[in-house]
Amino acid sequence: MILILAWRNIWRNKKRSLIIIAAIAVGLCCGLFASATMFGMWDSLINTTIDRDLGHFQIHSKSFEDEKLLTDTIPNFQNILTQLHSTNNVIGVSSRVLVEGMISSATSFGGVRIVGINPQDEKNVTTVYKQIIQGSYFGENWRNQIVIGQKLAENLGIKERSKIVLSFQGVDGSIIYGAFRVAGIFKTESSVFDKSNVFVQESDLLRLINSDPISNEIVVRLSSVQQVDSVYIPIKKQYANLSVKNWEELAPELKLFNDMLMTQMNIFVGIILFALLFGITNTMLMSVMERVREFGVLMAVGMKRSRVFIMIILETISLSFLGGIIGISMGLILIEYFKHVGINLSAFTEGLSQWSMGSRLYTSLPLNFYPSLVLMILITAILGAIYPAFKAIRLKPATAIRTY
Amino acid sequence: MSLIELKDVSRIYDETVVPIRAVDSVNLIIDKGEFTAIVGPSGSGKTTLLNLIGGLDQPTAGKIIVDGTDISTYKPDVLINFRLHHIGFVFQAYNLIPVFTAKENVEFIMLLQNIPKTEREKKALDFLQAVGLGDRVNATPAELSGGQQQRVAVARALASSPSFVLADEPTANLDSASAESLLDLMENLNQNNNMTFVFSTHDQKVIRRAHRVVTLQDGKVKSDELNPIRIKNEN
Repeated sequence: MILILAWRNIWRNKKRSLIIIAAIAVGLCCGLFASATMFGMWDSLINTTIDRDLGHFQIHSKSFEDEKLLTDTIPNFQNILTQLHSTNNVIGVSSRVLVEGMISSATSFGGVRIVGINPQDEKNVTTVYKQIIQGSYFGENWRNQIVIGQKLAENLGIKERSKIVLSFQGVDGSIIYGAFRVAGIFKTESSVFDKSNVFVQESDLLRLINSDPISNEIVVRLSSVQQVDSVYIPIKKQYANLSVKNWEELAPELKLFNDMLMTQMNIFVGIILFALLFGITNTMLMSVMERVREFGVLMAVGMKRSRVFIMIILETISLSFLGGIIGISMGLILIEYFKHVGINLSAFTEGLSQWSMGSRLYTSLPLNFYPSLVLMILITAILGAIYPAFKAIRLKPATAIRTY
Repeated sequence: MSLIELKDVSRIYDETVVPIRAVDSVNLIIDKGEFTAIVGPSGSGKTTLLNLIGGLDQPTAGKIIVDGTDISTYKPDVLINFRLHHIGFVFQAYNLIPVFTAKENVEFIMLLQNIPKTEREKKALDFLQAVGLGDRVNATPAELSGGQQQRVAVARALASSPSFVLADEPTANLDSASAESLLDLMENLNQNNNMTFVFSTHDQKVIRRAHRVVTLQDGKVKSDELNPIRIKNEN
């Protein structure tokens, strides 16, 4: 009955209640949407980074981490590849030969990371092959094909089928030169990646360095990011002599970015809730001050102060809950819509590519965010009601009854 | 045994530089079944005295004994509970809960007493029937006339099964017919159920009906006598 009383009290001043409900709803909707765009940005960044280059986890020799030399190879890598191919949830494994070197065209040169791959294996792990904008992904029939990024091609002033020279230090320390012809040009979401990575076939690279098959890096792709721990942890334990790292460890800057986003989001939601707190307090205070006589009567006839307090808290919670439900529903609709349609950010493509992000942002918000938001609204409502409720229970019935 | 006993009760307000003795050394005994009016000019201390008897205010000096219990030293929270179980209130401005129906207003006080739902619903209907509002149980205060609202207030006061009912100017906002009707109702309850009523009033209609009239002046009891008008009428 006290809940009914609280509920009906809300609707005594419909206009005022509707205004505060609308304020809560709009505030929450905006907060949710802003959070969803941040999460969407984060998702986009993670997914593009995993898809483009990192995979879900990688294996290196421990020494490779220090100097990243061609000679820092993974011992018995063939056995590891065989084991990984037969592991559950592994959908792709690619072995890479990596070497830092120089790329030179007729007009320019620059430093690059040369990635020797088996194109078929690499297709199962990364998506660069889908982002070819000129030529093909090792689809030509000549030797020494190279696939480079658009940004690098522009810097070097070259195009498809142009010749370039790669130079790097071989296994024995000597400088090796190799002439390659551009088979394809890719364009990923990251201009930094595009200008600093070139792909060649592993067999061509091994022939140049006159080496048996070696591997500096094994990249593993799983069926989903949720499977990482279940596959990566046993492998990490089994190969304690190697460096086995998941995508979070491989790209700590992503974690930093995530932490920054989360901090921003918390501050943003905090500001909204703080503003709501004052709105709720103001509304409830007005409501209490209008009903001084009524509170006096309630306490005069025997309603305990604790019950009066609870009634005001219930009124506030009902008001906030209603605003919260409407706000969350509106937010959900917006988030679901832009999850499928995306927000067009093509005006900022150049800047976004520096951050490895595409020009369309898809909103995303983890489901576990909603209960915590509801809890925060509840806490805000209770905090907002405390002062008005105290104001009400401190009234003296004899005086309050005679207030008009 | 007396129902209400005031022993040398004073209530002094010292909000201003000069203390105001709203109630000054009042001694008063009210027995079970009385129909007593406290009268006097404005500022004579009627309302303060009623507040003291009803546990809405506490005396600066003296003792107030209600139902054998000295309530003058009770803390506010204890007094709330005491009021809930011992005292029924009828206010000048009705003071019903506007968002509740007549039935819910009467039922609410029993909810505060933790009476089970079915029992309190039945009692609420019985009380409303008794005050002649059996057909308006689902009306909100805004849908009732002043007289009807005051009848609901009487039903609410009775619903808590109090030892007595305090009524502060209960007819002040009513027209003559409604006032007479309300007084009939309270008089019947007094005579048939032996319910004690204590009024503060200016209204001659109430004074005429009272068995006993206590007159206050400047916070002191000026006179305390059986109602001469009533005695004359009865004779």
